[in-house]
Amino acid sequence: MASIEDRRAQFTQYKQDVKSRGKSFYPYAMFHDTVMSLVVVSVIIALACVWYFTSGTDPNTCGGKDSCLLGPRYSEPADPGTTNFVPRPDWYFYFLFYLLRIFKWPNTVILGTVGIPTILLIILIVLPFVDVRRERRLLRRPVALIAAVLVVISMGVLTYKGATAKEALASEVVQAVPTWAQRQGFADDKDAVAGATVFATSGCTACHTYLGTGSSNLGAPDLSAIGKSGQGPNFFSTYVADPSKYGNNVMPKFAALGQTKLHQLGVFLSESKGPK
Amino acid sequence: MTEPQHEDRPHLPGPSLYPIGFAAGVACILVGLIVNPTLIAPIGAAIAIVFGFLWARDATMDYRREPEPIEPERREAPLTAPPIPADRGEAAMPAPEPGERFPRSRFLEASTLGLGAVIGGLVTVPVVGFMVVPAFKGQGYPDVDLGPLDNFPEGKWLITTFYMHPEAGNVSRRTAYIRNNGQLNGEPSFTIISNRCAHLGCPVQPNGPVQPGDKKQVTPGEKGQKVTLVPTIPAGGFGCPCHGGQYDPEGNRTAGPPVRALDRYQYAVVNGHLVLGKPFSVAHVDGEGKNAKIHAYKLAGPGQHIDGWEQILYPIQPPH
Amino acid sequence: MAVAPTRSRKSPRRQKLEAAVNYPLDWLEERSGLIGAVRYFLFRKVPGDTNWFHTLGSATLTAFLVQALTGAILAMYYQPHPATAYQSINHITNDVTLGWLVRGMHKWGASVFIILMFFHMARVFLFGAYKYPRELNWIVGVMLLAVGMLEGFTGYLLPWDQTAYWATVVGINLNGTAPILGPFLADFLRGGAEIGNDTLSRFYSLHMLLIPGLIFALIGLHLYLVVRLGVSSPPWSREAAGGGDYPAAPPSTNGRSGLTQPTARSGWRRNGGES
Repeated sequence: MASIEDRRAQFTQYKQDVKSRGKSFYPYAMFHDTVMSLVVVSVIIALACVWYFTSGTDPNTCGGKDSCLLGPRYSEPADPGTTNFVPRPDWYFYFLFYLLRIFKWPNTVILGTVGIPTILLIILIVLPFVDVRRERRLLRRPVALIAAVLVVISMGVLTYKGATAKEALASEVVQAVPTWAQRQGFADDKDAVAGATVFATSGCTACHTYLGTGSSNLGAPDLSAIGKSGQGPNFFSTYVADPSKYGNNVMPKFAALGQTKLHQLGVFLSESKGPK
Repeated sequence: MTEPQHEDRPHLPGPSLYPIGFAAGVACILVGLIVNPTLIAPIGAAIAIVFGFLWARDATMDYRREPEPIEPERREAPLTAPPIPADRGEAAMPAPEPGERFPRSRFLEASTLGLGAVIGGLVTVPVVGFMVVPAFKGQGYPDVDLGPLDNFPEGKWLITTFYMHPEAGNVSRRTAYIRNNGQLNGEPSFTIISNRCAHLGCPVQPNGPVQPGDKKQVTPGEKGQKVTLVPTIPAGGFGCPCHGGQYDPEGNRTAGPPVRALDRYQYAVVNGHLVLGKPFSVAHVDGEGKNAKIHAYKLAGPGQHIDGWEQILYPIQPPH
Repeated sequence: MAVAPTRSRKSPRRQKLEAAVNYPLDWLEERSGLIGAVRYFLFRKVPGDTNWFHTLGSATLTAFLVQALTGAILAMYYQPHPATAYQSINHITNDVTLGWLVRGMHKWGASVFIILMFFHMARVFLFGAYKYPRELNWIVGVMLLAVGMLEGFTGYLLPWDQTAYWATVVGINLNGTAPILGPFLADFLRGGAEIGNDTLSRFYSLHMLLIPGLIFALIGLHLYLVVRLGVSSPPWSREAAGGGDYPAAPPSTNGRSGLTQPTARSGWRRNGGES
């Protein structure tokens, strides 16, 4: 804590120092600025070129014909009635996006949406009024240093998690079915493969994980080796049809799938004995 | 002359009714613009102009009186004449002290600031009103004809996509999950769930097989309306692709961040057609299908609590 | 240049040429004082130990100017209506000559602008450059960061593709969860109860006119304060140490341009010739 007189004296001293020993902005400092600006403009143009030349006119060719290193030129036209689109924000909002996924209890939603961003903004605004010491050397400002490191790490982690956050959607999960069949060794069992397809398209992976696919966000168990328990297909199909009969009141009932699909699902689960 | 205000503060204008008349004229313009722009508004304008002119005349009387030819004559009166009373003319005024603020400058200061505020108000009030007010008016949710009841077989879920405002085009495309619950007390019963996630409004997806092969399109109701029906089996309820919210088939939250159940739509059966009404918010649903007990509330935005103690955070909803 | 120190030994021809060049500059200076202002800006003294870290601010400004220019030109081809917006973006990217480059620069310039704002802010924080007397400039910078993010948010909707639409839905509903005023804020942003035709033109106007105007004004204030208060020296400099005991500064040996510095009260002052 430095008194305002001290700080004024320091600033007066700074003014004198600069006046007597400073350098002229032009051209000395401005040279650096100009070089940096050239770098900035070059980077922007380079990004634009890479983005354009690795993408095609059709957003659906991304990942196939075109590599789309920096994403497609545009996605499909906006459709407010969509039932299969997975919304994602621009990268600089990934931290906020992932924050919203972290606060997965209804009472805490407001913390992620307005609470934390508002607190961050207030901290930034009051910072110069809280830290009124004259000290500016970083190593003598341990609180500031630790805060900076923590902010950088958490922003980095949140951004990375946001960028890689995946939803277990039927259309994507179903492509993994042949791999599952091969790794679990039930490729020859028609019922099991059909059951795997039912598993992939019925939203099971919204809560469960299976051989690395799916979401563990909600705390449901991994099912890659559920068949090791030795229970037969019938056990699994009746369990899935109405888990509450087995004391599980968290998992929804899947009786609406119908007997055939439930049976296939049961075969699939009992054949899932872990990858070979 | 019995005007009391001239006795000790010579340059301050006396009380006047002109400002009141001016204000009445402005009020008349505003009322006229709403009620009858062709007749009442011009009358108000005329009143405002006349009173404004009189007010300005009145307010600047002292200022304008200075160069009147009479005063120099007075000033040229013989030196032996008795001093002119302090309330007459300029000559009797003592020379102002340096930096003294005498009434006229104070008046000019006040009127400059006041007129500036009037100009600012005249420009910004309509502009801000134009920007803000329309957002809270109109729109609303019209009834949407979804076509004959035959298209909704009992016990089956249909992903129903339609245009809320067919004339507005794609931007008004909406999706609802509809299930025919069969008859309840002799009336058909439906469950109509909005696909807008109760967390932050992402489009929820059915947790179960979708059968696009059995897609059906009907074009009932208004011109431009097109209703698409795709069967689905949301055995695991509904899931949100953004932040992982999960719902059971009745729309109750089962996991994740959603603050309440999925919104629903009112419905009616008119001439054998299913007609969609206004959406409303649902805290939670007890029971299933046609016997469900729905805890309904006025439509609220996603992420806004409608029950529990958190509802104090959202005491009022904008009018729609 | 009008400001170049005149040497005594010059050929008459060169003197004539200089006079011809100087005339319009002198004319402008006499009537506006602008040349003096530019001179003041360019030849003001900055601490001798400024370094590459101090270029992040001007780099951010460059990125913003790229955004302003490319954005203004994109507006010549873009059509802010839900029925046509997507087609016009498609047209700009695929058909119009160099449209892909200008749109690409605007799209990626936005990311670069945001990154540079964060870098610049991190530099100011780590250098402790927000301290007295630069508190106000820090606050202006925080406002610029917030308004810059808002600019990114409003611009993200304009392509009117799926990504844009749903990111905006979530963004607006985020604001809707603010206590008490949230529902009204969300309606205000949407221009109604639901996203419609008005939402896109509303975002377009915010993105094109209102927010950039605000950013320009804030940048002006930011730069004014930088020039008035001087560039902060790095934290390892003698000035920044803040130990309290300042040995008298050695007399200047390398003073170059003989300009006055702004003192606490003077603000802008033209080259007065003293050093």
